[in-house]
Amino acid sequence: MKDNQNPISPHLQIYRWHISSLLSITHRIAGVANLLALTLMFFWLLTFTLSESNYELFLLAINSFFGKFILMGFTWSMSFHIFSGIRHLAWDMGYGFEIKTANVSGILVILSSLVATIIFWLLGRGLI
Amino acid sequence: MNETRKWILHRVSAIILAPLFVWFYFSLISLSVKNYQEAIYFFENPLFKILIVALFFIGFFHAKISLNEIFEDYIHNKKVKDVANILALILSIIIPVIILILLI
Repeated sequence: MKDNQNPISPHLQIYRWHISSLLSITHRIAGVANLLALTLMFFWLLTFTLSESNYELFLLAINSFFGKFILMGFTWSMSFHIFSGIRHLAWDMGYGFEIKTANVSGILVILSSLVATIIFWLLGRGLI
Repeated sequence: MNETRKWILHRVSAIILAPLFVWFYFSLISLSVKNYQEAIYFFENPLFKILIVALFFIGFFHAKISLNEIFEDYIHNKKVKDVANILALILSIIIPVIILILLI
């Protein structure tokens, strides 16, 4: 496409955010984040196969404040992408297109992804 | 690969990935506070090895199709788009293959 200065439609800046559009773009961003997460998992395994000292260094990094923040963020992006993905699958099968249903399912996706992240960490760390 | 098959495989891979990811995240969060010996116990388990390799292959396959979609939407220069797609393809093969080699 030739890059000219004519205004193009749609003008994303002037639309009010809706749950539908917010979740649509977040689904994509979370998906890309999951790809980064998969890359982190790759390094997790790589350091494990290299040596014990390498692995322990990796664990030190992942247990730092920043490391935990990243891992928690990835846990959320994965939870969100799965719940949002289920919503997309329902649409693919033709369900849930009514505006009210789509709004409610959107809010459910946000809430369940947050709850799931908390449960993951409580269970994973053996706190419950 | 034609677009319909791509669309279907994208959904099928998503359905397989969801439980795999739940299991793997839970395992990694647990492993993050355990030592190297516990990690050996986990990563040397034959069943877990198969699941991890599957997770990486299917995960990167799913990511590759998704990246194609994203590039299609945001990259308007055809040459740049083609290069980006090839990079995504290479990445989606190399990393899972390295994981396979590391684990066997």
